[in-house]
Amino acid sequence: MTIVDTRIKHGDASDGLLGGRLARIDGPAKITGAADYAMEHAPEGMVYAVIVDSTIASGRVVAIDTSAAEAYPGVLMVLTPDNALTIKTATDWTGAPPPAVPYEPLAREITFAGQHIAAVIAETFEQATAAAALVKVTYEETAPISSFDDPRSGEGYPIDMMTKEWGDAEAALAIAPVRIEQEYKTPREYNVPIEPHGLIAHWEGDMLTLWEPSQWIDGMSRTYAEWFSIPFENVRMLSPYIGGGFGSKALPTRYGAVAAIAARMLDRPVKLAITRPQTFTAFGGRPATRQTIALGATREGKLLSIVHRSANETSMDDVAVEPLGSVTSIMYAVPNFSSRQNIVPVNTVKPGALRAPGENPSAFGIECAIDELAYEVGIDPLDIRLLNYAEEDPHAKKPWSTRRLREAYAAGAEAFGWAKRSPSVRSMREGKQLIGYGVAAGTYPVRRTPGEAMVRILSNGTVEVASSGIDMGQGTYTILAQTAAEAIGVPVETVVVKLGDSALPRAPVAGGSQLANLMTGAVHVAALAARDELIGLAINDQNSPFRDLQANTLTIEGGQMSSPRDAGSSVAIADVMRRTGRDRIEALRNTLPESLRNKDDHFRNFTTISTMLSPTEGDYSMHSWCVHFVEVRVDVDFGTVRVSRMVSALDSGRLYNPKLAESQWKGGIIMGIGQALLEEGLVDQRNGHVMNNNLGDYLVPTNADIPDLKVISVGVPDTNASILGGKAVGELAIVGVAPAIANAVYHATGIRVRDLPITLEKLI
Amino acid sequence: MSNQTTINLEINGRIQSLAVEPRVTLLDALRDHLELTGTKKGCDQGQCGACTVHVDGERVLSCLTLAVQVEGRAVTTIEGLSDPGAELHPVQSAFLEHDAFQCGYCTPGQIMSAVSCIREGHAGSDEEIREYMSGNLCRCGAYPHIVEAVREAAKVMS
Repeated sequence: MTIVDTRIKHGDASDGLLGGRLARIDGPAKITGAADYAMEHAPEGMVYAVIVDSTIASGRVVAIDTSAAEAYPGVLMVLTPDNALTIKTATDWTGAPPPAVPYEPLAREITFAGQHIAAVIAETFEQATAAAALVKVTYEETAPISSFDDPRSGEGYPIDMMTKEWGDAEAALAIAPVRIEQEYKTPREYNVPIEPHGLIAHWEGDMLTLWEPSQWIDGMSRTYAEWFSIPFENVRMLSPYIGGGFGSKALPTRYGAVAAIAARMLDRPVKLAITRPQTFTAFGGRPATRQTIALGATREGKLLSIVHRSANETSMDDVAVEPLGSVTSIMYAVPNFSSRQNIVPVNTVKPGALRAPGENPSAFGIECAIDELAYEVGIDPLDIRLLNYAEEDPHAKKPWSTRRLREAYAAGAEAFGWAKRSPSVRSMREGKQLIGYGVAAGTYPVRRTPGEAMVRILSNGTVEVASSGIDMGQGTYTILAQTAAEAIGVPVETVVVKLGDSALPRAPVAGGSQLANLMTGAVHVAALAARDELIGLAINDQNSPFRDLQANTLTIEGGQMSSPRDAGSSVAIADVMRRTGRDRIEALRNTLPESLRNKDDHFRNFTTISTMLSPTEGDYSMHSWCVHFVEVRVDVDFGTVRVSRMVSALDSGRLYNPKLAESQWKGGIIMGIGQALLEEGLVDQRNGHVMNNNLGDYLVPTNADIPDLKVISVGVPDTNASILGGKAVGELAIVGVAPAIANAVYHATGIRVRDLPITLEKLI
Repeated sequence: MSNQTTINLEINGRIQSLAVEPRVTLLDALRDHLELTGTKKGCDQGQCGACTVHVDGERVLSCLTLAVQVEGRAVTTIEGLSDPGAELHPVQSAFLEHDAFQCGYCTPGQIMSAVSCIREGHAGSDEEIREYMSGNLCRCGAYPHIVEAVREAAKVMS
């Protein structure tokens, strides 16, 4: 359990209120090295596990010779499919009941390179690493299908629930005065949090403690419980700080099962930290995608039809869908629309979620295509977006709850100086640098799951907030302290926030950019309940200093209680607590609807995504919106691209802490710059290996790649979207960055790159 | 092999004795043997900078340094940059003020590099700061704020 207290110097008291620019309250721990990340715990007697991975991508394991590894000093066990404890398959994250077959985290049948096949457990990390290299595996290899670029992979199969159609798109396209059609591709991309994945598993009898970086304490705890057939309450997962996740730390993994099995079998705490190269194959990043987009339009650029066909890679044994029509279907007003999607099985680990799964590549397609149409009909790329502005959700046919995209276009264009753009391609130049301006929009839906929180007012007047929700850098600790401080009326410094522990009240996944909204909502409700109880106590208790006032209510400000009838005399909360003899006031509240408040639905709400509401559930269509304006400079001889300037205007509704929200937006934008110019999982087509499985070869942005970034908030509170008016923040800002850069590169060079990343060989 | 050797390391001004195998890296010695987990393991192959510490005042990747190599040399980690309870180092304060981190995992390495970047005289312009801070990856994307923090801290330190 981690307690973060809030002794932070800040500008003025209003910083502590919701909407204030309070510095992050977990900051002091992080800048001094005191923050205890999950895998930095060291239970007595801990031993180390190292995973042995498959070196082939397709075939089967014929034999595993463990003798040399077992004979190595310090080795306690070599775990293989033959000796591993049998565990059950668990309910998946959607809530689908599991098949009644064992779950085998170590494989005999190989469907991708890097699949776990054995694990060595030894007294020290060095011994386990050395011994793992001595495990000899004999394979029977079959020819892999390494990617969906291999013709043998075929067209895959359709995912019918991705089909979105209205009007008659094909017919309207056929008679449209202007038609363009192109294919857009994105490669495999990886999450690459700087904290690698892993865990410490520790059994005490039938109690399992897991120190594991997790975006979803309750969902993952459920899986461990079901794997080992123990009650949910027997699993304690601790994840006080998470060193980045970006979607990759939300679900249980094979190596997690391996560590827990090894710990069970050895009756010792086992630490298993996967290596950096293993972070490219132990779980999946964003799958490779391809989209064909045909636009039909009038000669003035008004859209008549969109026909969208797409596909993403999946693994041989499972279904991963990157929803590629998600932005295509809502960004522009269009009378005829058709979007269909296939998935194509190849020999890869099952792809996972990476920042804005679906919206990100979807926006790359449509936001490049609309730019191409603008040039085709000869109008400004910003004007074509306004011309086709969707006044309501064209797919759901519902009004937007809020859509400040028009305001974003205006604010961004003004701050960027879009009016200075010369319309023709290759028309702006400084010396050897071709200069290009590009624009693209982005969006991310508001996902909603009910939340839960405990708020306590303690006898010394301080306030405690508790939740199993997590903070991986989004600022959860900070905004929940601000929420409670404002709701109760205490200085933010007196609020302590506890997170990242399954022993605390439940929380759904920190994914889909939903956590801030649902947790501030739950804390707000719980804090008001605690405040009401405190006021009731102060009015009614016979020992209360307010008893004689016969007041109907009291106010609380700055930790001081006072009566509207006698504003002059205020009493500290701690004094009221002392005089009335209370050691705490406690309010546990959730925001579940009445229909889901029974025990089973409560559990289901927090351990699966089955109760998450879609953005169009209800009367409105709810999304965050953004636009990016980019200036690129392309070296005329070498084709190197630098992003030299960027302005983004974003509508995330109300910001609970603009300082932290701006950081998250900029982080998304920077990841988008990496996606546009650098990031690409390179697959060896001969053997299915991810060749650049390290940080020297899989390039992510460095400091020198990033210019100053200007972000502008254009949002207004949206109380349809959430209790306190916020919309999605974390995943929004990456959406639209890559197409804005691609469009700027086209403007600079006249070369249209439709397959990411935009590397120099594509420009010379 | 369990051919452990006893070494004496000067970490944050304190001599500490520990028994390790010769192949143990400085990073693992700090994290697994000395309970100094502020120094982070991000890649264990010298590519991310999360493990940056100072050896004799210079920035060094502790994952590419064996513990036995630093006997007799002064090692400073993030825990030793400012005394507990005392005032923060100007770089630490600037990181907090400018929100130069999110998840915080690369942060100790960033801060140790930033202190060196300034001491080396490489904080003269934003462009120079960006270049000399590029050995430390930040996946949360705090780079613009790191540049602001280093620029501000450089003023305080000069």
